[in-house]
Amino acid sequence: MSLVLCATRGGKESIIAQDKAIALAKEQGAPLVFLYIADSSFLNKSAAAVIVDVDEELTEMGEFFLLMAVERADQEGVKAKAEVRSGVFREILPNVALELEASTIVLGHPAGETSHFQEAEFEAYLKTLAQETGATVLTPEKEARE
Amino acid sequence: MLGNSVIFLPLNISHPIEATIAQVTSSNEVGSTATLISVGIFLLVFAAISLQLLHETAAALLGAVAVFLVTYIGGKLNWNVIFLIMGMMIFMAILAETNVFKWLAFQLYRASKGNAWLLAAALITLTGITSAFLNDVTAILLIVPLSIQIAVAIDLNPFAIVIPEVLASNIGGAATLIGDPPSTIVGSHIGLSFGEYLVHMAPIAIICMIALIIFNRLQYGKEYEGAKTKISPVLLNKLATESDIVNHATLYKALVIGALTFVLFFTADLLGGIPPSVVALTGASLLILWVRPDMHHMLREVDWTTLIFFIGLFVVVGGLEATGAIGWLASQIQILAGESVTLATMMTTWISGTVSAIVANIPFTVAALPIADVLSANLPSAATSRVIYWALILGADLGGNATYLGSAPNIVAVGLLTQAGFRLSFARFARDGVPVTILTLVLASIWLLLRY
Repeated sequence: MSLVLCATRGGKESIIAQDKAIALAKEQGAPLVFLYIADSSFLNKSAAAVIVDVDEELTEMGEFFLLMAVERADQEGVKAKAEVRSGVFREILPNVALELEASTIVLGHPAGETSHFQEAEFEAYLKTLAQETGATVLTPEKEARE
Repeated sequence: MLGNSVIFLPLNISHPIEATIAQVTSSNEVGSTATLISVGIFLLVFAAISLQLLHETAAALLGAVAVFLVTYIGGKLNWNVIFLIMGMMIFMAILAETNVFKWLAFQLYRASKGNAWLLAAALITLTGITSAFLNDVTAILLIVPLSIQIAVAIDLNPFAIVIPEVLASNIGGAATLIGDPPSTIVGSHIGLSFGEYLVHMAPIAIICMIALIIFNRLQYGKEYEGAKTKISPVLLNKLATESDIVNHATLYKALVIGALTFVLFFTADLLGGIPPSVVALTGASLLILWVRPDMHHMLREVDWTTLIFFIGLFVVVGGLEATGAIGWLASQIQILAGESVTLATMMTTWISGTVSAIVANIPFTVAALPIADVLSANLPSAATSRVIYWALILGADLGGNATYLGSAPNIVAVGLLTQAGFRLSFARFARDGVPVTILTLVLASIWLLLRY
């Protein structure tokens, strides 16, 4: 069974990835799942007093973005599901892809100097992701720029 | 020669300046092995924190261990700061669970009736006020995620709301003794009461907040005008659900105890000069007694890493003081400033502002404090007015706005924006941060010159 998994957030580049995933799901008649990973590891390098549940805050923000993505798919006549997970992005994504048996993974472009990845590292991650999951990995925003 | 060094760990809550100055002036000769080792350790810790090579807490703790092991010199732990922060953390942890900050942010969205500029100004003000009374990083963690969601929903670049919110949190933090770590550190060091601090610093913080709101209008006016005035009912419903008050009874109790705590903060002088840390811990203890939270959960909510970070930092800087390194640096600044209080004040404001723009302002403040002691001691009129300390607070708090490395709320906000899919580069942050920092430092300088 083919399934399109779109790892997304809320920025403009995420919308390019979302549109690509919606188009693919429509074309293939495949189920579409939008995934947001609440990754609070950015707090690790600061001694800031963190006395709130950051994962919960990020999860709520993720749910909101996914609601927007699902609305977007709905407008195109595609029924989509939303999944929010917590943890380190690069570890969680392949696990979810395997769990849902995704045939295609659509990713946005990493968010610059503050992203989970450096550019070269991102390329290597895409290869590993494809090998680990057996899925086709697409990065539409990056391809559009090239 | 290291063998004749002394271990001292006084549990000095009031921490008089005289003791610090006496200690600085009687310390070892510059150039001794102990001095060089302590300077070396401090620079390594500073570099590890500033370049983000290590977690701040790990860096400070390793530095502390190194100081103990190598020089056998303990530092002066400012327990007033440690307990004040701990007390406010407990209070904040209970209050945060009621969701009141999100509720307030959502009410502001509704009240703005689709006017994005009004919404931004209201959220900036809310963040500034929240940061003045509660931990600024917590304020950012609670308000920014909802602000990003609202911005995305109304098709507004979140930078137009989040960057000014972060700048406001640093400015608002300068308004009270408990708002920002540099304020707490300096205020506790010179034994200021809550009210005394507020009288001196709140007016300039308010002036800077007004300047920020005007700057923001000029910077993002067009973006606000282009934003959508309405969002879809589904998204509105999600925001409303997310912003509900979670526990009304706890909120009520927290507000009552919070009000009592602030009354106690203001009247501490009349009650024999109770230190702010004792007031904060008393308030927190009363709240725990009334709310009866799960203590296991409560203790997990207190961020022990931050407290250990502060302890480690005080120890490392204590090593610098005891070996004479700080005294030597202070004497060099004294030579440059001469007998002029004005020059010393301006130098303190702008040097601390500039350094805090580049490196974390907490370790800088701890290190700069003994220098301020020496400058104040040698300039009699400065000692009376405490103008050097005010300059240090304003420089460290406002300077932290220039780059996203300058203070913890900036780093946290950048992380939150990244999680939302928005790149906020160093240069992009500085595009707003640098002009606001210069503007507010100029206002602070004028304030210091006119007021003192």
